[in-house]
Amino acid sequence: MADFIEADQLTKTFPTAAGIVPWVRNLGRVERRTALEGVSFGVRRGELFGFLGTNGAGKSTILRVLSGLILPDGGSLRIGGIDALTSPLALRRMVNLCCTDERSFYYRLSARLNLEYFGALAGLGGKQLRERIAEVARAVDLEGDLDLRFDAFSSGMKQRLGIARALLGDPEVLIFDEPTRAVDPAHTASIRAFIRDELVGRRGKTVLLATNVLEEAWELCDRIAVLRGGRIAALAPPGELDARPDAPLRYEITVDRSDDALLGRTRAVSGLLELRVSGAAPAVLLDVLLAREPQALTELLRAVSANGVCVSSVRPQEPRPAEIFAGLVSERRDVR
Amino acid sequence: MFADVATAGRKVRATFLRDARLMMSYRLAFLLDWFAIVASVTGLWFVSKLVPASSVFGAGHVATYFQYAVINVAFVTLQSAALQSFENSIRNEQVYGTLEAVLATPTSVSLIVLSAGAWAFTLAFIQVALYLAMASLFGLDLAHVNLASLAVFLILTITATVPVGVIGAAAIVRFKQAAPTQSIFGRASSVLAGVLFPITLLPLWLQGVSWMLPITHALNGIRGAFHGASLGALWTDLIWLAVATILLLPFSLFVFRAAVARAKRDGTLGQY
Repeated sequence: MADFIEADQLTKTFPTAAGIVPWVRNLGRVERRTALEGVSFGVRRGELFGFLGTNGAGKSTILRVLSGLILPDGGSLRIGGIDALTSPLALRRMVNLCCTDERSFYYRLSARLNLEYFGALAGLGGKQLRERIAEVARAVDLEGDLDLRFDAFSSGMKQRLGIARALLGDPEVLIFDEPTRAVDPAHTASIRAFIRDELVGRRGKTVLLATNVLEEAWELCDRIAVLRGGRIAALAPPGELDARPDAPLRYEITVDRSDDALLGRTRAVSGLLELRVSGAAPAVLLDVLLAREPQALTELLRAVSANGVCVSSVRPQEPRPAEIFAGLVSERRDVR
Repeated sequence: MFADVATAGRKVRATFLRDARLMMSYRLAFLLDWFAIVASVTGLWFVSKLVPASSVFGAGHVATYFQYAVINVAFVTLQSAALQSFENSIRNEQVYGTLEAVLATPTSVSLIVLSAGAWAFTLAFIQVALYLAMASLFGLDLAHVNLASLAVFLILTITATVPVGVIGAAAIVRFKQAAPTQSIFGRASSVLAGVLFPITLLPLWLQGVSWMLPITHALNGIRGAFHGASLGALWTDLIWLAVATILLLPFSLFVFRAAVARAKRDGTLGQY
């Protein structure tokens, strides 16, 4: 089955300076920095697709290209069979960027009036618009706050209103740029559940999101594209994203007791990068991170089990999202 | 087709309501605008006491200076609305941070910029009505108005001045600041379009410049309508404004769309 969103070799550069003075100073040459370099990916209908990357990696640029707010220098983009670069109006009917930037609303108007305005621009009116506003406000738990002026909203409420606005026109594709930034933990969980279960699960929407919260990407996304320097460094389901070949290994070791001597011996092992101790006798847990070196684990176990300490289990652990991410965006890794 | 027109109408109405609510949320500034109209009419009435009535003020009829100037000052409000509303609207959207959110909706760029004038022109018409109501208390004769001529010239005044405002809005999108041409155009119009004195008092070469301004023809036509002139009698101004509309309106929308496209290429749409 063909992908619903097909991005092929998207490139984008931005001028590093604007105005006539730098232009004259550089004799008509405009220096440009690369934001996207040959980015290609496909997204299936009803998929929840994530973008991860360090600051400046190109996450926001790709989202803005997908929503038609930035035109790429090269490459092609098809969404739902239409050429998104030559049919901007058709693109905007199909795709909505959820701007959770709190500066994207009218501060002196109430939340309801803001939604009425953006709802009308989405093509809604009359009873349909009123019902839709009630529905989306309920979805983001803002039903009781719609008549407050926007400037009276907290950061998290503003964020949720941004999500409500994106849902007004019922677009096929929803694009979220850091949907839970500044949202409290309780609402973060409900927003994530809403995106995953309601938007994707029940309504079958295609959702693309960029986030800096790794757990969010791991929890929500079907697949994740990790961007580095404007290129895709890795693209896979979260469980299949691999760390770099020399990534350290994590083990959970259970011993019957722990004391200063044991910890001292353990810390002296070459290749030990991290040691955390929890629990108490007779089941003390050692959470260790070891460099991927020959004999490192053997040396560690020898150090731990000296003086009659009993090792009851050694369990290799899945690498944590942060470790995988750090490996993928590391400068030593090749990108494709 | 009908559904498209209805949807566009809803979008214009929504923009109208947004702008009205935003303006009225600044109550003091809103009230001061109305006070300025009262002060302006009163001032013109006192000045007119110094100037004898003359046929130079009345397109062939003897008219008072007050009758001449108050009509001009009232209707030049329409040009001010055109020059300021589009530019201010886009500038405000940039500063509020709402421009990207608005341009991300399924609304054509042309409709977004043109609908920004809906409230401004409505307000301008209300202000014109207040000017005329106030002026009638000071003796302005409204008995001979040719309503058909007035209606046509009001429409053409808007359509011929809107392009200047839309090009100003394009400059805001492209350069993130107001183009000086807007200010120059507005100030030149107040001197050269015969707002406060007839252009026949200008040197001949400046009369040529005056003739190039849409507002000159708009005010000629409107004053003529107030003296009862038919559309046939005002045909030169009518043709001038119609041609300006046909040429400039599509051109200005093209320029605005090009400015938005350029900002999308440069990634500067949300910057200000």
